[in-house]
Amino acid sequence: MSNQTQTTREPTMEGEPTPEKTGAIDIENLTKVYDPEGERVVAVDDMDLQIGAEEFVALLGPSGCGKSTVMNCIAGYLEPTEGEVLVDGNRVSGPDPKRGVVFQDNRLFPWKTIQENVEFGPQMNDGVEEGRARSILDEMGLDGFEDAYPSGLSGGMQQRAELARLLANDPDIMLMDEPFSALDALTKEIMQKKLIEVWERDNRTVLFITHDVEEAILLADRVVVMTARPGQVKDVIDVDLDRPRDPEVVTTDRFTELRERALSVIREEAQRALEQEEGEV
Amino acid sequence: METRRRLVRAGSVLAVPILWFLLTRLGIVAGLPTPTAVASSFLEEFYRQDFWLSVARSTVRVLVSFVVAAAVAIPLGLLIGRYTVFADLTFPALEMLRPIPPIAWIPFTILVLPASELSIMFITFLGAFFPILLNTIQGARGVEVEFSRAAQSLGAGSFQTFRHVIYPSALPAIHAGMIVGMGLAWVNLIAGEMVAGGTGLGFLTWSAYTSGSYPTIIVGIITIGVLGALSSALVRLFANWQIGWREVESA
Amino acid sequence: MSTVEQVKRRFGAGTVPLLTKRLRQALSVVLFFALWAVLVRLEVLGFGRFVGPVPALSTFVSALLGAPMTGSGATIYQHAAFSAMRVVVAMVLATATAIPLGLLIGANRRWEDALFPALEVFRPVPPVAWVPIALLLLPTFRSGVLFVVFVGAFFPILVNTIEGVDTVDEEYLRAAESLGADSREVFRHVIFPATLPSIVTGVSTGVGLAWITVVAAEMIAGGIGIGYIIFQAYRLLQTDVVAVGMIAIGVLGYASAALVYRIGNRLTEWQTID
Ligand SMILES: Nc1ncnc2c1ncn2[C@@H]1O[C@H](COP(=O)(O)OP(=O)(O)OP(=O)(O)O)[C@@H](O)[C@H]1O
Ligand SMILES: [Mg+2]
Repeated sequence: MSNQTQTTREPTMEGEPTPEKTGAIDIENLTKVYDPEGERVVAVDDMDLQIGAEEFVALLGPSGCGKSTVMNCIAGYLEPTEGEVLVDGNRVSGPDPKRGVVFQDNRLFPWKTIQENVEFGPQMNDGVEEGRARSILDEMGLDGFEDAYPSGLSGGMQQRAELARLLANDPDIMLMDEPFSALDALTKEIMQKKLIEVWERDNRTVLFITHDVEEAILLADRVVVMTARPGQVKDVIDVDLDRPRDPEVVTTDRFTELRERALSVIREEAQRALEQEEGEV
Repeated sequence: METRRRLVRAGSVLAVPILWFLLTRLGIVAGLPTPTAVASSFLEEFYRQDFWLSVARSTVRVLVSFVVAAAVAIPLGLLIGRYTVFADLTFPALEMLRPIPPIAWIPFTILVLPASELSIMFITFLGAFFPILLNTIQGARGVEVEFSRAAQSLGAGSFQTFRHVIYPSALPAIHAGMIVGMGLAWVNLIAGEMVAGGTGLGFLTWSAYTSGSYPTIIVGIITIGVLGALSSALVRLFANWQIGWREVESA
Repeated sequence: MSTVEQVKRRFGAGTVPLLTKRLRQALSVVLFFALWAVLVRLEVLGFGRFVGPVPALSTFVSALLGAPMTGSGATIYQHAAFSAMRVVVAMVLATATAIPLGLLIGANRRWEDALFPALEVFRPVPPVAWVPIALLLLPTFRSGVLFVVFVGAFFPILVNTIEGVDTVDEEYLRAAESLGADSREVFRHVIFPATLPSIVTGVSTGVGLAWITVVAAEMIAGGIGIGYIIFQAYRLLQTDVVAVGMIAIGVLGYASAALVYRIGNRLTEWQTID
């Protein structure tokens, strides 16, 4: 197991008494500047956001506003320029198996079979449990594809396999960067259902980045809308729709209201982003 | 940080002559000419017309052979890549010849071609020809069908489709082939000059060995290396200029 | 639209019977030999001084039956074995050094800064140019030739390995780290497999260069081997033996390329499966 992993996890284990729920994310004054000595691209500027343990939060915002940057800071891939990210009270200092990531274009290892991919996390950590990968794959509807390589799977199946790989590691937090944006409408709907199922059952925190306003409202407890670059929190929308939400919920008045609210904020910011770009050119 | 990296990299390059100096000074590698001997031999050569003639000869041979190779291999590769019938009729014969290292052709070319100059140039040509050909074929085959369909739907004839769609799409692959081809042109040129004798840097280096003027061997190697690096840079420059819309991958 | 359809359309559907693919390919080879024969018969350029396909093939057959080549008394098998051994030994040495070195340089910036610029100094020198200095410095003639062949194979493998590591998508590394892999595990499970296709490319380029270099070195330096035979036969004006040498080297080169290709495919099986 990696040293990084241990240093970030130990305080939770030994320090304070183990909290009942794990996976709370606390983003404090987060600023990220790319290329600080050169062009100085301020991607995220002094952002604050609290995500409760086991909460499902969707992150919306115009293209290039810094959503992925925020996620990469939480995942531990990027060092914040200023401020910090805390997970369950501990400062994030690197990637950790408790914070699983689903990438936009899936990042299954093409040189490993689906089963080897799913068993990768356990293999790196506590060891592979016989039959577990298979049951997760079954659950994801991937039985029979254990020995296939990712290149032999359709886009939807690859995305499901990546989700399976993540679940096999039993993370507290799932960070998902536009995971379904490349899928067709029907596959997307199936995946959304699967995700909610898994989330409700296993009590994980989910941060879900998307461009799709309806998807955000349909899935999340709260929708966080970001400003145009440099990214900050522009608006936080509480989604007070009952769960389980079936697809028909989109036709209700409350859904329409929420959508209109989110859209109007986004439009405003997208317009600002456009003007910014024109100004830069 | 950045300056420190640069220093380390510069140090890495400088370590080569320093190591060389130490190796000769401490007599670790017996017979290796010392840097000073090589430097003074370089100075001598610098004032000899023969040396510059060799430089000019080798350079001209490489450039002419390379240009001819590209001029033949690119159209041929595009045709083979796009027309299966044409490919079936030509490619198997070419594939029979390809595994033969160009330098192995030298006796043949000396016998068959009217001038020894031509035979060395033919060897050099072969060195560049096959890499360019193969990469062009691969590039032409990799062009998405939709592009040529789009062109045809917009009214392009088959020549126009070649000119405006297939050739430009295959360019990155062609350039990759040209970079490899330039390297192989030099390899085979030097081999050819060493074997066939007469003139050129390969001959100069080899005859320095046979005549016992060992420092000149290293003068030859350095000169060949510099020219090789320059011509690779030239190909890259040309590729960048020709592409413009796409960064060429430095191989 | 397939090319066959295109051609059919051009010639008016079905009026020109198209040979099957196999036949066309065979025709290509036959035409090649016919062209060779005609050129020799008509003495185009200096072709009159070269051997035609029929005597060349008959000498090839008798060489295969064990007739000694040129005056030396060694058979084609002995010469081929020497050249092949040189290539094999050089390839083993080159892969054993260039792959680890390339991985190290590619994966570690410090090692890259320390080693790569120095190696770049040597890279533009064509391997054949090292022949005289190798003969001068190395104790035996054979080790000199071997060294040059090694240099020929070394750089393509090194450069491709480095490039392979450099182009590994960073998100694979991130994915592995997020799944709990430490740096050694990332190297073993991500960087190395992701680099394998480039390494295979490097090795196949390296084998090609090894053959070029071995032939050149044997021609220049003499001794034994197919390169030597080709040039010695030329000196003796036994052009049929020259042709036999060329055929032999072509066969060996082809066989080794095919071998590398197969091994490479096996190692990167995951790439080709659809
Ligand atoms: N490595 C980098 N170096 C410099 N600038 C970067 C880098 N990565 C991202 N940026 C810039 O930072 C800004 C935010 O990028 P980020 O990827 O976080 O946006 P995003 O909201 O995820 O966009 P999208 O919706 O397109 O995925 C963008 O303007 C981007 O161009
Ligand atoms: Mg993004």
